Amino acid sequence: MTRVSLFAQDARTKSRNAAEKRFRAYGLSAIVVALLALVWLLVSIFGNGLPAFRQTFISFPVTLDAAVLDKAGNRNVAEMAKTTTIGYAKLLATSLEAELAAKGIDLGEVKSKDLTKMISEESPATLRNRVLADPSLIGQTVQVSVLASGRIDGYYKGRVSMESAAKDKNTSPEQLALADQMQSAGVLSMQLNPGFLTMPDASDKRPEAAGLGVAIIGSLYMMVVVLVLALPIGVAASVYLEEFAPKNKFTDLIEVNIANLAAVPSIVYGILGLAIFINFAGLPQSAPIVGGLVLTLMTLPRIIIPTRAALKAVPPSIRDAALGVGASRLQTVTHHVLPLAMPGILTGTIIGLAQALGETAPLLLIGMVAFVRDFPGAPPEGLFDPAAALPVQIYNWTQRGDPGFVERASGAIIVLLVFLIAMNAIAIYFRRKFERRW
Amino acid sequence: MKDQRLETRVDTQTIKIEARKAQVYYGTNHAIKDVDVDILDKTVTAFIGPSGCGKSTFLRCLNRMNDTIPSCRVEGRITLEGEDIYDPRVDPVQLRARIGMVFQKPNPFPKSIYDNVAYGPKIHGLTRNKAELDEVVESCLRKAALWNEVKDRLAAPGTGLSGGQQQRLCIARAIATSPEVLLMDEPCSALDPIATAQVEELIDELRSQFSVVIVTHSMQQAARVSQRTAFFHLGNLVEFGETGQIFTNPRDPRTESYISGRIG
Amino acid sequence: MSLGPLTLIILALGLAGYLIGRRRAIAQVAGDIRKLHSLPPFYGRITALLTVVPALFLIAAWLLAEPAFIETKALSLIAAEDIPAGKSAALVMADVRRVADGVARLQDSGIEIAPLLASPSALKTALNGAAIVLETEPTVSTLAAAAALRDALASSRFALSIVALLLAALGLGFALSRITPEYRARNATERFAMWLLVASSLVAVLTTVGIVGSLLFETIHFFQIYPAADFFFSTEWNPQFRGGSSLGLWPLVWGTLYVSAIALVVAVPIGLMSAIYLAEYASRTTRSWVKPAIEILAGIPTIVYGLFALITVGPLLRDYFAAPLGLGNSSSSVMTAGLVMGIMVIPFVSSLSDDIINAVPQSLRDGSLGIGATPSETIRQVVIPAALPGIVGAVLLAASRAIGETMIVVMGAGAAAKLSLNPFEAMTTVTVKIVSQLTGDTEFASPETLVAFALGLTLFTLTLALNILALIIVRKYREQYE
Repeated sequence: MTRVSLFAQDARTKSRNAAEKRFRAYGLSAIVVALLALVWLLVSIFGNGLPAFRQTFISFPVTLDAAVLDKAGNRNVAEMAKTTTIGYAKLLATSLEAELAAKGIDLGEVKSKDLTKMISEESPATLRNRVLADPSLIGQTVQVSVLASGRIDGYYKGRVSMESAAKDKNTSPEQLALADQMQSAGVLSMQLNPGFLTMPDASDKRPEAAGLGVAIIGSLYMMVVVLVLALPIGVAASVYLEEFAPKNKFTDLIEVNIANLAAVPSIVYGILGLAIFINFAGLPQSAPIVGGLVLTLMTLPRIIIPTRAALKAVPPSIRDAALGVGASRLQTVTHHVLPLAMPGILTGTIIGLAQALGETAPLLLIGMVAFVRDFPGAPPEGLFDPAAALPVQIYNWTQRGDPGFVERASGAIIVLLVFLIAMNAIAIYFRRKFERRW
Repeated sequence: MKDQRLETRVDTQTIKIEARKAQVYYGTNHAIKDVDVDILDKTVTAFIGPSGCGKSTFLRCLNRMNDTIPSCRVEGRITLEGEDIYDPRVDPVQLRARIGMVFQKPNPFPKSIYDNVAYGPKIHGLTRNKAELDEVVESCLRKAALWNEVKDRLAAPGTGLSGGQQQRLCIARAIATSPEVLLMDEPCSALDPIATAQVEELIDELRSQFSVVIVTHSMQQAARVSQRTAFFHLGNLVEFGETGQIFTNPRDPRTESYISGRIG
Repeated sequence: MSLGPLTLIILALGLAGYLIGRRRAIAQVAGDIRKLHSLPPFYGRITALLTVVPALFLIAAWLLAEPAFIETKALSLIAAEDIPAGKSAALVMADVRRVADGVARLQDSGIEIAPLLASPSALKTALNGAAIVLETEPTVSTLAAAAALRDALASSRFALSIVALLLAALGLGFALSRITPEYRARNATERFAMWLLVASSLVAVLTTVGIVGSLLFETIHFFQIYPAADFFFSTEWNPQFRGGSSLGLWPLVWGTLYVSAIALVVAVPIGLMSAIYLAEYASRTTRSWVKPAIEILAGIPTIVYGLFALITVGPLLRDYFAAPLGLGNSSSSVMTAGLVMGIMVIPFVSSLSDDIINAVPQSLRDGSLGIGATPSETIRQVVIPAALPGIVGAVLLAASRAIGETMIVVMGAGAAAKLSLNPFEAMTTVTVKIVSQLTGDTEFASPETLVAFALGLTLFTLTLALNILALIIVRKYREQYE
């Protein structure tokens, strides 16, 4: 066989090298596709959701006329409560009309009934609560900043256009034109909306007033339940299985069991919660305690697995050293092994909690999807009060008719992701800070 | 100075591989320093030396297997039949088809015995049809002295063979691409004495067709199978010459102390 | 006494127990602790444990069992004629609970309730004022049941406080009475702790028992009122509110498998090729950035993917593919859900495949490269065949994940049960129907609700089988290279 020079590539080598290049390109493009999918997902969510943190407000002075709000004139809250939100709505409308007249804005085609519609239906209730909480306001003229209606807000967020408004019975192009005038006169403006994080959910017609307050509290309660139950039980189970359990059929069973529980679809835990906690034990629906218990059961295997790995990573020499100076096995574990494994345990726990925080499906089945406007009470009794949860609130909003809720749902996802990022960042910090190589 | 005697011998046989002032770095670590070696055709050359002396590293430079280690860098000149193998025009794939390699641990692919041997000819397109491929597989297995043991179970997985058989299978696999040089990195270190003897015998037979370079930690093995021996110490080529001369009459005191068992 | 203070008192008793137990032990040997069997803190610890643990367990068990007990009691007070036709006792009980709740709230806000209880219509208005909306005026028996419920709850909590405190005190007394210098407090503490550890690891077993038990129990219940043959062999899914539903499994299984298949078609090539690139080609720095970035996809909650399917991918597919091709105009479709689920599953395939490819011994790669194979030839002909069992395991795990996924299909796939091949049509899956049947307004004991448990059991069995198969394959594979 005649040898060719090393410097010349024969045809076959060339085609093989081309195949090599193609293969690499496939790999690289797979990664690019995966990363682009991630970017696309995040851009879509953030693009849709960021506007939820800003809201259109209308600011004008309101004279809280005692003749309207406190007919008896004795500032008795119980009697003042007889003035319903309708009365407050009228008051707001007339005050706004007066303000617009003062600024020289012509209402044009917009009737005063339509002007009321430009203010969120939630605003009169907000004002009413403010007055009932502080009756001394009556008789004064206060500057109020009320939410604009969902359609006006949508106009400034690009959801509503003149064309779509013409076909919409909830608004009209004239209202939008007036809103533009109000904006240039400084009456109407976009502002940061802290109410999105603090207010409770609002009904179907009032997307502009819907907030995450109850959902955040509900999720927080559930996370507390999960932490209080899953961390000690998970660590105790891991310690038993890793350090004390005899090797026999029974412990094998527990191990296989835990591995499989980690892979059981989350919705099955919801069925379990419904059947055991609600139907059998009769615990209330929509309660954070039930959600917390279900998520605890779901999170346990996800805490046990990393905890066992952390315990396993502690070298046997440490145990031998402690046992060698006469410590009991339990002392060895509590004094030496657990503290060394603690960073790993905490990392695993936080990641398990983060997963539980984002879990939706099981909560749907235990009634967390219900419309809840009241904040739950203080724990521990408050754990039994109805509440919402962040991911379920998101789902809930996606099922509503008004397009304003899509923005709310995406905004809520940003809040959820911020919590998750914070939790994962803490987990990564723990891992980096305390990581030890033996 | 040590090369002077070698120059005279070189005339008699063709040089396959020639290394001049070869340097190897791992990151900042200078692993091989100024090595000059000639590998002659149809000769067994043994690289000996204490662990970590760089003999395996240098071996892997000869068919650019070190390319797979990102931090590794080679300087100096290493040529195959006068062509620099580190020239940018050289395709390491083509180079390795001409300089085959057998590793320390037998590493048969998780395929049948037949497919293990046929792997090289298939990827390099060395045969035109199944009959030719069958012929190549049979002849390589015969050359590797394995044919009689496996001819009835060519479809059985290569991983099912004994350690010695596996290593001979790997040798058959390496010679199936008909290389000019066969590099062997401690090919017997994972084998028992009987299997070692079989492989050593095989190496001696392979010499009639190939140039063989063998890294070994066993001086006895070097003495048994090689015609020429290079002694490496701390990344330097200390002494290179006829095997008989190196073992009976070393010129460098370090070679002598290694051979008599004082270092290594 | 409410729960918070009760728990605090018990914990305080525990702390007292610790201090007293410790002091008592030291006092018995007149301060010479060498004469004690164990160090003084152990005497404190065992006392605290015996005080706190049984009492807290009692409270937890009591709270779990309490609603069932007091509700049966209240339910027995509701007259049969007060349960409207077509409504279940459970719905009436919900009213009872709401009334009881509302009355408590009115009481808290300082409103005189005696006159209200006498007049149902006044009560309804008052409750409305407290944001508790009743459909109808409460009947007399509802009011009685609500009152009984409140009383039962109050007396139950009172009894709980007494019993729990008694138990804590008993535990404290018992532990203190046993303290002598010879008492092996350390061993006792450790035995006690060991039991707690064993009990904790049993929680996992109990969870499985609970899952299997509740699924089986209600499924049997379902098959008693709906023929099993129709469930397993019918190809029609058409639940009716008024009964006479067709509840065939197959349209749901078809939808589930179709969506999962699309997800795998998306995720397996992308996940596998990413894993290969990361394991075989990428530099260390690329790897350290890209691998976590891809794994972010696994950490994103599924509700996020669901919303992504609903507001972005669904409309996009409808406007640019389905509608122009004349394949339908639904934004929720098998393709939408499958595509998004595919993105979600990528990291499950890629992480596990990456581990498995890395576990293929380097010597195999060297063997192939050493005789002149290109890296891609080595990967395709040596590394992948060697890693194949593990990769199959990874794909099976991903499939199990896709089959059990709920939110993406709830929001992306649609609700119509169909046996169709068109991927741009809305179809539904097992998990979607579990959610819709269990969150609907139908009565719990109807086949339309109970079918969800049969579906749950099907889902559980299917995913469990896949998981076990995958674990066996992966374990076999790991053993091969150890």
